[in-house]
Amino acid sequence: MSVDFFNHQLSNGIKLYFMPSGKFKTINIALFLHQDLHRDLAALGALVPSVLEKGCRLYPDYLTLQRRLENLFGAELSTDILKSGERQILSFMLETAHGRYLDDNGTIFRDAMFVLGSVVGDPLVDGNAFRKDYVEQEKNQLVKDIRGLLNEKAAYALERCLSLMCADERFGVYKLGRVEDYRDIETVELYRFYQKIITENPLDLYVIGDLDEKLVVETAETIFSGERSQKTIELTPTQVDQPVDEVKFIREELAVNQAKLIIGFRTYTGFQDPLQCALLVYSGILGGFPHSKLFMKVREEAGLAYYVHTRLERYKGLMVISAGINAKDYTQAREIIEKQLADTAAGEISDVELNNTKQGLINQLLSRLDSPQHLISNHLEGLVGGRQWPVEELIAGIKKVDREDIMAVAKRVKQDTVYLLQSREGGDGKNDR
Amino acid sequence: MTVSFKTIENQVLQETLYHYRVDPGMDLYVLPRPGYEKKYAIFSTRFGSIDNSFRVEPEEEVTVLPDGVAHFLEHKLFEDDRGNVFDRFATLGASANAFTSFTQTTYLFSCTANFDKNLQVLLDFVQEPYFTEQTVQKEQGIIGQEIKMYEDHPQWRVFFNLLEGLYQKHPVRKDIAGTIESIAQITPELLYRCYRTFYHPANMAVFVVGDLEPDSVGELVENNLAPRNYEPLGTIVRLFPEEPEEINRRRTVQELVVSDPLFFVGFKDTVVGKLRGRELMRREILMELLLDIIFGTSEKLYNELYRENLIDEDFGAEYTAEYNYGFTMIGGETRDSDLLYEKIMVALEKSKIDGITAEQFERHRRKILGSYIRRFNSLEFIANNFLTYRFRGTDLLDLPALLQEVNRGEALSLLEENLSSDRHTVSLITGGDPR
Repeated sequence: MSVDFFNHQLSNGIKLYFMPSGKFKTINIALFLHQDLHRDLAALGALVPSVLEKGCRLYPDYLTLQRRLENLFGAELSTDILKSGERQILSFMLETAHGRYLDDNGTIFRDAMFVLGSVVGDPLVDGNAFRKDYVEQEKNQLVKDIRGLLNEKAAYALERCLSLMCADERFGVYKLGRVEDYRDIETVELYRFYQKIITENPLDLYVIGDLDEKLVVETAETIFSGERSQKTIELTPTQVDQPVDEVKFIREELAVNQAKLIIGFRTYTGFQDPLQCALLVYSGILGGFPHSKLFMKVREEAGLAYYVHTRLERYKGLMVISAGINAKDYTQAREIIEKQLADTAAGEISDVELNNTKQGLINQLLSRLDSPQHLISNHLEGLVGGRQWPVEELIAGIKKVDREDIMAVAKRVKQDTVYLLQSREGGDGKNDR
Repeated sequence: MTVSFKTIENQVLQETLYHYRVDPGMDLYVLPRPGYEKKYAIFSTRFGSIDNSFRVEPEEEVTVLPDGVAHFLEHKLFEDDRGNVFDRFATLGASANAFTSFTQTTYLFSCTANFDKNLQVLLDFVQEPYFTEQTVQKEQGIIGQEIKMYEDHPQWRVFFNLLEGLYQKHPVRKDIAGTIESIAQITPELLYRCYRTFYHPANMAVFVVGDLEPDSVGELVENNLAPRNYEPLGTIVRLFPEEPEEINRRRTVQELVVSDPLFFVGFKDTVVGKLRGRELMRREILMELLLDIIFGTSEKLYNELYRENLIDEDFGAEYTAEYNYGFTMIGGETRDSDLLYEKIMVALEKSKIDGITAEQFERHRRKILGSYIRRFNSLEFIANNFLTYRFRGTDLLDLPALLQEVNRGEALSLLEENLSSDRHTVSLITGGDPR
């Protein structure tokens, strides 16, 4: 079960984490560039991977780059923007089939690394700027993505609730920033920003696959050899101690068939907190599984919802309850949810609930070891959170959690924001708490 | 007890699959994957939303179902006189679920401990129905919420509107969950009647994958089924209305709260119902190649449309081939659905003239092969897809061989035959008043 990454530091300071593993059909390479989540920087950060991915010096347009990837047996390059606590992470991932299943002359790993290295480190530059047409095009696309949040009603409601709840904190910034942030971004400014973060900000490179360690290190050293500043900048830790004065109730209208109820909580339990494992169990007992209190009471007994669950944001120490209900059932659903919160806080947790939740969590943790992407994100979480939680340690911690620990977590948990998204004719959801 | 089996080797994937035939006529497949923590099992029946009219030989009586019964039955099997089945899995540390498609219903669990016991629970609960007036009534509320959730889902709506546009009679045009009205007609008796027909092991299959010893799984399954003394099942005759070659309507438009219009062109495949086995899969592979060559990210059209801000990264083209229906859909979010429509139709005509180069064909073939291999990292992908292919008489493991067999000429002829402009429809979701 024990899985570990070998750690290396490339001569320019980039961290390389390599896991040799013969269990997968693939080779997975990932690169993460970290920066503080900040209102003034979010749009700039979001633009960088999108623009880089559209073409680099050697593969100057998207078509050429995609053809190169297709010839590498459909290697898949995907970029993304992650929000991890109050940090924005620019993510570049590349997955190829392993050469042992292909007629590839044994070069697919090096070729794939080379493509990723070109995209990230050798961009297409016009003077001292990115190409204007690429930048304008990606600005359009990102604005479209931000507006597109509206299309997934559950995700939209969650994002609205969190942004209202954390309006005065860095966490309240959407990972892609705001529509208006894109208007004035100039290509020169964006290129300067890119040059700064690529040389000064923390940069982590991951490789998983059945590969020789020496080959991986040498290839990384050769390809990711760009000059970096002597000292990597320190990022600001995520704040977890924002007080709650009173519970905010927010109702918004949208033409929806099903109302979305989102309740945001602060747990005051950060990633490094000794009660981290107890928090996982607490959230799991409430709403992590089909055996959890919320699912059993709101769905199975009262038949009010198809989905109702909790989720944690472990860096920021937030917990969120989400449910899709009829607006007219809001009061009843809310009462049932409050009762489950109170019962859990009072330690009214059966042995079966406790045991099933622990086993469910352990099953999830072990299952993550079967996916290269999850292995990478497990380790990345540790980097972001400032503490690695090896699977064995998490499992041992979860096994030790008892009712007192859960009650101790529950005591910290404060309801912050109740958010209800419903249609105008949806009826009686209004300000009743 | 020993159970007989045969092994299926796949040279490309370097995998060995074990196939058992378990009395009374059920297929069991075991794929060992050493080193994996997780073990994943599915128990699947050939009963989906399109199977809404049937009889069992030698009986003459035809049963006609209200829409949404297969999906409703899926929900209801999770409850029996001992309570909620999720609890039994949870006590054993497993995560359980189920899903219903047009053609099948699948029950599943994944676990990292207690595999044998979990497999017993899976086999037991699926083979032990328990439906009462009261539990059926409660489920009508829950599924009602599920239906409402999908009503707000633009991707889901645009898809079913497209199918409604393509099909005049075939039940694939109906939502898998049915409607609030249709599920109100469901009774325990009706569920039992469907259950007795479609949940006979001869109409089902099990696929198990993980770090497992095949023979012990074979014995466990055989021992579970043997004492149940199943009577032989007569042939299930599924009755489908005669579907005309013509589409139902040219255009379907719906208003929903969306940031940009969502637009798809659909083409009806009128040949697919005559194909079986490898021929069906060959068509699927050829269509995947053809669509990727015309609409893929590495080709001129996609890049032009993207530069003109007419599409985003989710734009795509996809073909679905079942044993008695098939369709192609092309599209995505767009600022101008009329312009996008025109460009798609012109591109198809142009492709007929331009043809396909050898370089293009080979490059896309490599891409499909590599993507296929990559997907074998996922135990869920393997199990779910293997049985779906099996149920339509095809073999997921046959893909690398077929991919080598197909040629450019075949792909080009499908352009004429399967993407004919007189059998297409469009489906559009426009942004209405957000309030």
